[in-house]
Amino acid sequence: MLIDLKENSICTECGLCREVCPVFQIYHQEEYSPRGRAILGTTGIQTLIYYQCTLCRTCRVVCPIGHDPSGETLRSGLIAVGVETPANQTMIANIRQYGNPFGLLAEGEIPKTLTCC
Amino acid sequence: MMDRLESLLQPDQVSTQEETRVAYSRDASRIQGECRAVVWPETVTDVVRLAQWAAETGIDLVPRGAGTGLCGGATPQNSVVVDSARLRQMDVLNIQLKQVVVEAGVPLDQLNMNLRSAGLFLPVIPGSHRSATIGGMIATNAAGLHAVRYGRMANWVENIIVVNGNGQVQCLAGSERSNSAGWEGITGMIVQATLRLTECPGKRSLTLLSFENLRIMLDQIDTLKTNPELSAMEYVNPNAAIMVGWAAKHTLLIEYHNSDGEIKDPEEISIIWRGRESLSARLTQAGYPVSEDPQIPPEAQEEILGWLFAQEIPVFGHLGVGILHPRFLPDDPRIPELYGRVSVAGGRINGEHGMGLKKRRWASEALKKDFHALKTQFDPHHVFNRGKLC
Ligand SMILES: Cc1cc2nc3c(=O)[nH]c(=O)nc-3n(C[C@H](O)[C@H](O)[C@H](O)COP(=O)(O)OP(=O)(O)OC[C@H]3O[C@@H](n4cnc5c(N)ncnc54)[C@H](O)[C@@H]3O)c2cc1C
Ligand code: SF4
Ligand code: SF4
Repeated sequence: MLIDLKENSICTECGLCREVCPVFQIYHQEEYSPRGRAILGTTGIQTLIYYQCTLCRTCRVVCPIGHDPSGETLRSGLIAVGVETPANQTMIANIRQYGNPFGLLAEGEIPKTLTCC
Repeated sequence: MMDRLESLLQPDQVSTQEETRVAYSRDASRIQGECRAVVWPETVTDVVRLAQWAAETGIDLVPRGAGTGLCGGATPQNSVVVDSARLRQMDVLNIQLKQVVVEAGVPLDQLNMNLRSAGLFLPVIPGSHRSATIGGMIATNAAGLHAVRYGRMANWVENIIVVNGNGQVQCLAGSERSNSAGWEGITGMIVQATLRLTECPGKRSLTLLSFENLRIMLDQIDTLKTNPELSAMEYVNPNAAIMVGWAAKHTLLIEYHNSDGEIKDPEEISIIWRGRESLSARLTQAGYPVSEDPQIPPEAQEEILGWLFAQEIPVFGHLGVGILHPRFLPDDPRIPELYGRVSVAGGRINGEHGMGLKKRRWASEALKKDFHALKTQFDPHHVFNRGKLC
């Protein structure tokens, strides 16, 4: 059964989606699992953990009710209150100042560091 | 005290950050608690150090697997949560003996996926099989979707390695296994177990039977159970059936490990199972978040299931072993009424989820007596799961 993409049910915190999350597979910590993010989301805590989501939505596929962690929304909440990673801040500053995310580049120079979120 | 905790382990094995404490403040029951810190042991020695630290400081430890428990067993009460998620080694597979040695934090589905090439599997399959860990399943003596054929987790455990409340490492084998299996972590943290396995079924088939009349359905059960290849007998009552788009009838989902069932197409079988397995989350979403788990003796099933249906309470569960899951709103006065009916009928109010925090006030005198004897023997300082069960 395909779930309508417009639907976004409220997470029931069953925990059935933990193992499919690639970020949880790295940290093995609940706060990085889809359920952990949903719990944090309901408390209103603004945390950089929201950036550590690949937006792959594998959790949504296995979720019995199709809950979507809405990574983009959680991140836009962070931006709204000015919570950014240092990498993010550098990238935005570079774009503003130099018109590219890499920083000052000489003509023809290939960037050595890619700064992104 | 927390500084000393941090000095016991590597920095990335301890967290007192707000995000972590919030995410670990409850399990799937959503019974809320207070978490002081979370630790992720990577060796048995880490767990021994933690138990010694807890005995010295008086702070209690809550062992946690996947946190899929439904009675607050893994909910901390101003405790330190010990997450088994980094105890994930699968060690020795002995194909001749059909046994495997695994660490406590291995999720069931991951274990069974690894065993597939050997044609073996651990057949205790709770609805939470994607995530539930071996440690959590032993601690709760999990039953599940195929209990009618394979029984409960304790039947499949050869031995259990536990760190008790004195910080001693013990191997519980033979009759001693029952000092850990089913005791929800009150005697210590399970770190490893040797599990018995069985052959994967060659074939599977399924039959869905729907009934207008509950009595007529119950009359079929004994006959259906005579088939030696029966591997599941799940019940969905009319109030729950409509949640997955099935007819509003008393429905039996019967699975066989041969071709006796009417539905043989693997895709069709898996769609039906997905519907059945989605029921728990769907009912939570539909406003019935509290999952009960009475085990009802056959002679009382008509009376109690009939009463639940008349009350318009959705019910599903493992009818083959009498464990049913009526769903309620929190504090529904019909929950104690249900417990009363089940107790009078000689059933159990905790069929498979355990007692945890949710049911501790219902603990019987016999349970309290066993609890105190076990605590004295294994955990005299009440290091593990303080305040749970009783
Ligand atoms: C959708 C859904 C379906 C479910 N279906 C079933 C079912 O069919 N059958 C069934 O029996 N249960 C079922 N459950 C309940 C739950 O999944 C089981 O109780 C499962 O065994 C818990 O495993 P866990 O790893 O999540 O343990 P947790 O929830 O983390 O812990 C459960 C209890 O065990 C203790 N514990 C955990 N790990 C250890 C350890 N290493 N050492 C000592 N104690 C430990 C905890 O302290 C706690 O008291 C279901 C739950 C959900 C959400
Ligand atoms: S969308 Fe984010 S939370 Fe969901 S599985 Fe992917 S990485 Fe994990
Ligand atoms: S996202 Fe879905 S699968 Fe994951 S915990 Fe929430 S309800 Fe369960």
